[in-house]
Amino acid sequence: MKRLRFTAPSCQRRLLHCLAGLLTASATLSAGAEDGAPDFGWTSRLVGEGHELRRDSPLAAGLGLTDFGRDRYRIEQELRGRVGPLSLLLTATESGQEGVKPSGRFVANEAYADLSLGGQRFSVGKKMLSGDVAYAFRPLDVLQRESRLQLAAPQLEGIPMLSWDNFTADGAWSLVIANPGHQRRGEAREDGSVALKIYRRVGAADLHGVLRNSNRYGLELGAAASMVPSDALELHASALLQRRGERQVPLADGASVAQLLSADSALVTEAIATPRKVLVGGTWTSAEGYSLLGEFWWDGTTPTPADWQRLVRQAARRAALSGLPGVPAAAVAGATAASTRMFDQGNLAQRGLLARLAWSEPGGAWSASVDVLKSLGDGGWTLTTALAWQGERLRFDAGLRRYGGPADAAYRLLPERAAAFVGISLAY
Amino acid sequence: MFKRIALLSLAAISLAALCILGIPLCGQVMAAEDAKVKALLKQADAYRLAMESGRVETEVRTFRAGVLDKTRLYAVYLKPGHRSLVLFRTATERGQKMLMLGDDYWLMMPSSQRPLRITAMQKLLGEASTGDVATMTWGEDYDGRQVGEETIDGVPCLKLDLVGQRKGVSYPRIVLYLAKKDHHPVQAELYVASDKLAKLARFQLGTVDGRKQVTVMTLIDHLQKERSTEVHYLSRTDKTLSDDYFNPAFLVRADLTQ
Repeated sequence: MKRLRFTAPSCQRRLLHCLAGLLTASATLSAGAEDGAPDFGWTSRLVGEGHELRRDSPLAAGLGLTDFGRDRYRIEQELRGRVGPLSLLLTATESGQEGVKPSGRFVANEAYADLSLGGQRFSVGKKMLSGDVAYAFRPLDVLQRESRLQLAAPQLEGIPMLSWDNFTADGAWSLVIANPGHQRRGEAREDGSVALKIYRRVGAADLHGVLRNSNRYGLELGAAASMVPSDALELHASALLQRRGERQVPLADGASVAQLLSADSALVTEAIATPRKVLVGGTWTSAEGYSLLGEFWWDGTTPTPADWQRLVRQAARRAALSGLPGVPAAAVAGATAASTRMFDQGNLAQRGLLARLAWSEPGGAWSASVDVLKSLGDGGWTLTTALAWQGERLRFDAGLRRYGGPADAAYRLLPERAAAFVGISLAY
Repeated sequence: MFKRIALLSLAAISLAALCILGIPLCGQVMAAEDAKVKALLKQADAYRLAMESGRVETEVRTFRAGVLDKTRLYAVYLKPGHRSLVLFRTATERGQKMLMLGDDYWLMMPSSQRPLRITAMQKLLGEASTGDVATMTWGEDYDGRQVGEETIDGVPCLKLDLVGQRKGVSYPRIVLYLAKKDHHPVQAELYVASDKLAKLARFQLGTVDGRKQVTVMTLIDHLQKERSTEVHYLSRTDKTLSDDYFNPAFLVRADLTQ
């Protein structure tokens, strides 16, 4: 599906109003929906954000050219529903960033049809394909490649796909062609690939398997399990082996001045032979509404502590060049900003540990959570607290996250010290 | 001495004979009692779900201190073999699904497209306890005995003490009161695993398609005193889904209207 971008405020307003009209009509239709009849829901959401930048960051010289800390608000209108075999999730979003005119985008996050032909089941269109049994990090999420643990995350955007699904009494398999016609694209989630997904239920355990082939990673083979050994305890594990992997890392230490000042070469793609990803975890829940989640993982495709230390050294070398004759300040800022793309890689902790304590008022409206993520390799950490209230139609969310750790730890190097958000949504 | 041995032998033979003859007799009495209770439960179940498979449209109203707090809509598909699929139909929960296969449970959140295996405890903590909505029969899940008769709200009732026969039942023990006259459910005391009284259920009958059916179940929470819940059964249809729909992997598909 093509993403539409529009910037003129009047155009945004018209489109939002049109969408609101469509949504209202849909909401009316949904009241009497039966199987096959249109059935739609509409949600309006306002999210306000605040960020505290780390002005003493080694990467501070490039911050002005990045998006770090700029997000201020987001207004979303969301339509979700189904007409016949067609499922839709459409969002219209207006975003405000510090020092930038508000911008808008209209996205078909999902638009797909689930079909049955000759006793076989197919899906075609754009659909979310997230998968895996884990919470903080998902080795088996080889198609959607969802960024986990985002604060006030926007709706996921699906992947163009075609799948053939087969179901038995206690199992299933799906053959999925993702991004048909694509070879290697800018991001891994945009690559064309073929995947076979297998599911089997054995007693109180779910077993999952995946085999995927893509130009970028070659063959990927993964397996996961989730089991419930008692009324209160759930255990899960997930592992993936890739034929090849890659990660974005800084230049080698002996890089020339010209290389250091080039934004295009601030990071290089490092190939990794047969990397592995593994996660184990579990959740315990009490009758009083408390739950404790613990997960430990290893991600062989994440930059190593040595890579983050090299990023710091290069930022220092660039800062030292600043002000020297013949060295434009813009080049220093541009190359430093480009090097912050290292944070765009989904997982920053090669060996990670997440502990999450959550509480939900039994049968009630309130819920709260606190989670600590620790990177065991470099000592970096994040601390996140969140609070939510769910009413009849209204929902309120608020959260706060802090980043910390030793000076050269990945989470400590993030140009943000803390972030906070409040969100309010109304569903029809 | 010989006389004492003879007396002891006679006592041992008598005891053995009592065991050999008495246990089957006792077993027969218990089996008859079991069959009677099963028959009573089957009759009571018919007032809640008079079909083996079907779709039940349910509206759940939760009250806090007597004031309406929330209203939630669910479509529940039931199939023999302890299979139920709950579709959440309220605007704030649209797209959520819960699948229950015996003692195993899965929850599907629309934002992730990933069925989550959840524990019995997590199922119980859900809003309005989806277990209360998805469980429409006692006969398949409970055994017990009649422990007396009582009058509830002026209705003479049989009092049954029931014990869950599966690990996954929401309430391991139920004290059920059935009307003596036609065996329709009048009241149920629902006990959690610690044998604490969790909820008191009262059943309201109405005439649906010419027959008497439970139209409202009121749950008075005894653990959270200010809470009560009304489960309104809006419709019951004999729509049957194929087995595919009761496969956890199928939850990511949208073949059903939410």
